[in-house]
Amino acid sequence: MHFFRNKRLFILLIGFIVLVALIGFSLKDRENLTAVEKFVNDTVGWTQNVIHTPVTFITDIVTNVKDFKNTYEENQLLNEQLSQYKSLIYEVQDIKEENEELNDLLGITETVRDYDPIQATVVSRSPERWVEQVTINKGEQDGVRSNMIVITAEGMVGKIKSTSEFTSNVQLLTGFDQYNRISATISREERDIFGMIEGFDQESNSLLFRIIEESDKDLEEGELVVSSELGGEFPKGLAIGTVKEVVSDQYGLTRIAMVEPAADIYDLRNVIVVDRALTETEESNTEEEEE
Amino acid sequence: MKRLFFPLILFLLTILEGAALELLPSNLVMGNLMIVPHWVFAFLVYMAIFYDKDYTYYSIGYALLFGLLIDVVYTGVLGVYMFSYGLAIYIVHGLKKILQGNFYVVVLLGTVGVLLADLFIYLIYTSVGIVDMVFQDYTLGRMLPTILSNIVFILLLYPFCAKRLARWQWEQLSGKSTL
Repeated sequence: MHFFRNKRLFILLIGFIVLVALIGFSLKDRENLTAVEKFVNDTVGWTQNVIHTPVTFITDIVTNVKDFKNTYEENQLLNEQLSQYKSLIYEVQDIKEENEELNDLLGITETVRDYDPIQATVVSRSPERWVEQVTINKGEQDGVRSNMIVITAEGMVGKIKSTSEFTSNVQLLTGFDQYNRISATISREERDIFGMIEGFDQESNSLLFRIIEESDKDLEEGELVVSSELGGEFPKGLAIGTVKEVVSDQYGLTRIAMVEPAADIYDLRNVIVVDRALTETEESNTEEEEE
Repeated sequence: MKRLFFPLILFLLTILEGAALELLPSNLVMGNLMIVPHWVFAFLVYMAIFYDKDYTYYSIGYALLFGLLIDVVYTGVLGVYMFSYGLAIYIVHGLKKILQGNFYVVVLLGTVGVLLADLFIYLIYTSVGIVDMVFQDYTLGRMLPTILSNIVFILLLYPFCAKRLARWQWEQLSGKSTL
């Protein structure tokens, strides 16, 4: 009996050592997943794809029924807005043409705004709520790489955390911490406000935008925060969110804007992975031209 | 042949967990209460109570295996679910030797098991630094809703699992004295 007690303790200790080793292995900065993880992710991802179809079918029916209830009111509201948009569209078209002409004159073919979209579907969401992660059905074979930005039509939702051959994991904005930042900017007439999206505050449901370079102090509520090309990884001008409130940080040195995400991060279906079209060598050219 | 059912069922539950948050109404998901589906664990509790004999440890083996699978697929931090599920199922397996396998015991051991598993996950994540949450917030905001929702799932499983697993135990494990 004494021997058995010791054996149990022994197994528990070994288990504990294995746990620490595994956590240590997975938390260190590693660029890629191991081959085993990739294989498991691909296998599970394929099955998730299969299971996901009937699940979305059912949830779609439920939401459709809900949508029918307020269709009429929405329709009237949208009709009013539509007439306003029409004039805006003409204006935008004009400006676009002008912009293209000017770019042609200068000989710029690719700008920091350009990107190649990779369409993807969300197949699963992590049940562990502390790890805000979803899986999409596009992987390295489709050109997805780590650290690419993931957006929906409304705005940014996250970035690629790890890739397998046919699936990849997306870290959502709600799960951001100081280890995965995004350079962002608020557009101004003279000098833009630059800063970093540094994390997500669960209590107020908003992103923390640390302002590094402030051109003027009167940051207003409702101003749009967009991604900046200065991070070197993402294209310029993707909507991140709107400013809710500005507070000073815990040391009182810098100010932090609370930013409400533009996209609905809780209801994700179809997303776009943003592959920046501009290569590194061309980047230096455009920067010189800007100066 | 029937032994293949266990990996298949557990695999299916693992995948359904990924779609679980979509199936739940969004105002539940968006609120401050965190509901974590431990469906794989719920089935493992049934295995530990009805399938495993006192000297067989199939449920613990599957707990380690599918805990690791959840780690790989859903969190990326290896070992956390594997260790938590394994240890919690081991404790359930030990308690089951004292108690009879009936409906009330399932509810009791299910509650204890989910509580322990989720607590281990919280402890490991906090010590590693992934989660920064006060214990009181954790108990009210995550532990209670998680236990309640998983108990509902365990109750739903009862009519499908209890008798069947007991029969499989009789078919597959009786007459053999070793693993």
